[in-house]
Amino acid sequence: MGSITEIIVWTRGVVMDKEGRDVMNGIAQAAILDGKFADAFDDYEDLPDRVLVPVRKYARVSDEEIEHKYIYYPEVVDISIVVEPALVKGMNVLKGLREGGLLLVNTKYPIEYIMKFIPNADVLGGIATVDAEAITGGKRVVDFSGTEGGVDAVGIGVGLSAPILGALARVSGIVKKESLARVVQNVSAMERGYNEVNFQKLNKTHHALSWSI
Amino acid sequence: MATEKMLTGCAAAAQGAKFAEVEVICSYPIRPYTAIMMELAKMVANGELDAEFVHGEGEHAQLSVVLGASAAGARAYTGSSGVGVAYAFEVYSPMSGGRYPVQMAIADRALDPPGDFGSEHTDAMSTRDQGWLMGWACSPQEVFDNTLMAYRIGEDPRVLLPQMVCQDGYFVSHIPDKVVLPDVSQVKEFLPPYNPPHPLDPRKPYSHGPQIRPDQGAPMDAQRASAFLEVPKVIKEVTEEFNRIFGRNYDPFLEKYKLDDAEIAFFIQGAHANTCRKVVDKLRSSGVKAGMCRLRWVRPWPTHEIAEALAGIKAVGTIETSTSYGGAMRGGNLIHELRATLYDLPDNERPLVTSFMAGLGGETIWPKDFMYMAEVLSNMVKENRTKKYVYWIGLEPEE
Repeated sequence: MGSITEIIVWTRGVVMDKEGRDVMNGIAQAAILDGKFADAFDDYEDLPDRVLVPVRKYARVSDEEIEHKYIYYPEVVDISIVVEPALVKGMNVLKGLREGGLLLVNTKYPIEYIMKFIPNADVLGGIATVDAEAITGGKRVVDFSGTEGGVDAVGIGVGLSAPILGALARVSGIVKKESLARVVQNVSAMERGYNEVNFQKLNKTHHALSWSI
Repeated sequence: MATEKMLTGCAAAAQGAKFAEVEVICSYPIRPYTAIMMELAKMVANGELDAEFVHGEGEHAQLSVVLGASAAGARAYTGSSGVGVAYAFEVYSPMSGGRYPVQMAIADRALDPPGDFGSEHTDAMSTRDQGWLMGWACSPQEVFDNTLMAYRIGEDPRVLLPQMVCQDGYFVSHIPDKVVLPDVSQVKEFLPPYNPPHPLDPRKPYSHGPQIRPDQGAPMDAQRASAFLEVPKVIKEVTEEFNRIFGRNYDPFLEKYKLDDAEIAFFIQGAHANTCRKVVDKLRSSGVKAGMCRLRWVRPWPTHEIAEALAGIKAVGTIETSTSYGGAMRGGNLIHELRATLYDLPDNERPLVTSFMAGLGGETIWPKDFMYMAEVLSNMVKENRTKKYVYWIGLEPEE
């Protein structure tokens, strides 16, 4: 069970909760279509969410069956995805990040600007940004059907999450774009994220991840 | 046609209720069971499920509403978690005493103080002597299956008792897993409509739950107790039929995992069995003859089946995900009944028994914790004695 890629998704309560959840569920569903094993779950302690509070979500992708799934949160993280960019100012979004891991931020700002807010960036193997707001016209879905273990009634990737997922596929290859296209509602936004992601390789090397950009 | 979906335990329970075509649902929100009601509310609103959906003003009201619905002949469904389970307490005995086969879905949550969302079995276990059938699932699939089986067993004319279908909060209720949903025709074959013997009906009046004289109390208690003598037989029949119709492989009472030649065994209920199973494999591959016995039903307690399954094993450790403060062994609940169950085994077949307080407050039980427990059990075998009755996992001083 050593080959699990652990992903954390940072987002904001209520107003961007669904977009964050779509990122975690999109990763897991695409990974399953890729023939891998995957889990996706909310941070139980961050919910029920209040408006704008930072909330965390997780996805886990593995080539082998994930044996120990009864955890609240992963102890180490390989990829950190920030859905709401201002969170880099107040939260340690690289907490628990394994050396050489990836940070992906939804932002209109250039990578150098974001790096100013990441004091512990020396752990990173790469940083990527994607302007999901611009690609989707700022579309975000607010819907509660999929919270608390419920079944999502809207579908994944209607709003911001689609380009973020595309960007992740391009940079990390952790899921395939073709599988994402079968999972997200807004396929063209996902593809634009795939094509328009900015990436900068950094010094550290990850034991398993490599950059496909 | 049967379909496979990724569902949480909550969503699986709601699907179970839908396939059972429940007629009256009463909800009141509390984590982590809430999503069961969220899902059912959507189904009723979409017209997928033709049921009366009542918002109770609390858990006591929830149970009272479904009691009334069941008395009127409806298949009724409710649920709760944690302190909600406790708040409904008054109605548990009237429900079983009145022989109303309602179903209550429970996603376990620790009781206060302090407020804790984590899974712990103390909520439902505290109600275990109120005359309800009670069992734990360890996966969303088993939640779905138990929902159907429990209705069939509870509504059997030989039984007529309410059922608690329990699942671990968060671990099962919130983490999606593969669930095979059956074809409607399979459910139709398995679960006939509820046919109450004496429904409330103005055209043919009956009294339910009147005041009685003290001398009428004992016979009624004895009746309820004797109903439980029938239950194991019904559970066995129904499980076999369920396995046949749905292509499953459930043992009616116990999951016996590598017990046959085991020297040490874990005695467990609920979701942590999934981790336990993997550790048993690991122990086996390193030459330790370990096994696991997972309780599917706590009420009725499968006395003879447990004694038979554990006879000859040298040391057994119960995994206590609930508390019994000041109880005979000063730890959890399972050890009391397990020791009583094994008491009549011949001396050379009776295992040593200890208990492990683990998974309390919703804490994860890690593989390393089970490895520690295995070491304690192996040492008991080596020394041929039970050194301590209770081990608090993670809180024991280093030896």
